[in-house]
Amino acid sequence: MSAVTTWSARRAWVVRATGLAGVVGMAFTVWLGLWITPPDKVQGNLVRLVYLHPPVAWVALYLAFGLAVLGSLLWLWPRTRNDSWDRLAGAAMEVGVVFTALTLVTGSLWGRPTWGVWWAWDARLTSTALLLVLQLGYLALRRVASEPEPRARRCAIGAVIAAVDVPIVHFSVDWWRTLHQGATVLNANLSPTIHGAMAWTLLLGFVSMTLVFAWMVSVRYRIATLADVAADRSMQQALAERWAEGMPEAPVEEEGGVPAGVGP
Amino acid sequence: MTEVEAPPAHPPASARGTVPPVSALAKRRRRLRYLVLAVVLVGAIAFLISRIGGSLDYFETVDQAMAQKAKLGGQTFRLEGLVVPGSVRRTVDGVDFVAAGTKHRVPVENTGNPPQLFQPDIPVVVVGHFSGGTFVSNQIIVDHTATYIEEHPARVRAPNGTVR
Repeated sequence: MSAVTTWSARRAWVVRATGLAGVVGMAFTVWLGLWITPPDKVQGNLVRLVYLHPPVAWVALYLAFGLAVLGSLLWLWPRTRNDSWDRLAGAAMEVGVVFTALTLVTGSLWGRPTWGVWWAWDARLTSTALLLVLQLGYLALRRVASEPEPRARRCAIGAVIAAVDVPIVHFSVDWWRTLHQGATVLNANLSPTIHGAMAWTLLLGFVSMTLVFAWMVSVRYRIATLADVAADRSMQQALAERWAEGMPEAPVEEEGGVPAGVGP
Repeated sequence: MTEVEAPPAHPPASARGTVPPVSALAKRRRRLRYLVLAVVLVGAIAFLISRIGGSLDYFETVDQAMAQKAKLGGQTFRLEGLVVPGSVRRTVDGVDFVAAGTKHRVPVENTGNPPQLFQPDIPVVVVGHFSGGTFVSNQIIVDHTATYIEEHPARVRAPNGTVR
């Protein structure tokens, strides 16, 4: 395996700038959402959760799952098969689990004061809960002890199967009568039913959350790459030691044959 | 296995986990297997979605409930309707109001306090059953819309921070 241990200075800068922009954008969203935007006609101040819950759900459902499925398909396709696609899918899904869980938590916190209940078994909420379970199943699949290739295949197929739930979550509010409201922005005629400063703050929320997600996936992907390199090195080291045991007459090469020690 | 002969050369690390070369026939058969699996999966899901139909609906609208009132009888279900302005009346143990669909109206007698967003002209879901002509419920859930409108669109914020 090639030495992909460090990012180039330029890539490190881009990732850092993305993370910083995301955090600053989030801070602005909070400021606009809590102090500048007006209360809603029906919901009053409860509307302020609209700047958090939909952006989190957007990342969980479309970005994280989209990236995970893209990585999985590119790995499954023989021509584009590469370890890095498997790592990307794993990183996206792992970050996605956090966002799906946050979607359920923020939605529940919003539902209690507006609907009057913490939870309702309607099609949208139930299919989203199922999505979290599928994602957790995927993460469990990644931790099953296995050789890298069968594991990557298993995970990729698992991700593609789990992705079936994504359109169900998206269209649940159209296919069935749900307690959850329909889409405000991505509705059938694509005319957002949100006005003025509220719309712009919501847009900023979407952009910031996207940047935070991009940053988190980049960092997680890098950790996965380093872990693979470390695993490969320790495997080679262990092999070299076993071979050395089998050839007592041959001098054991400590520096030359064995890669430099890998820290825990 | 006491004495193991050392391997002549280090096998390349990249050889780990790679599949031995397969014949074109086996490859085609494997691809066919994946294809069949995918078709079966998609078919099963399409079948489920098409057969599930209305069983995943969270509530019946006032109009639907009135259309099958005889069939529903005294069974418990969720009823959705718009709170008719002027019909809301507080009682000792809850609230009475009229829920409206597009064609029908149903008087609702609810036990328990309604949630904070309960108000005239808002869609609500009530959990209960028909008792004669009225719907007796013990829970009101507010089913707000996906529309967000500023409370006072004409308001301006003066430079000194006051709002008028």
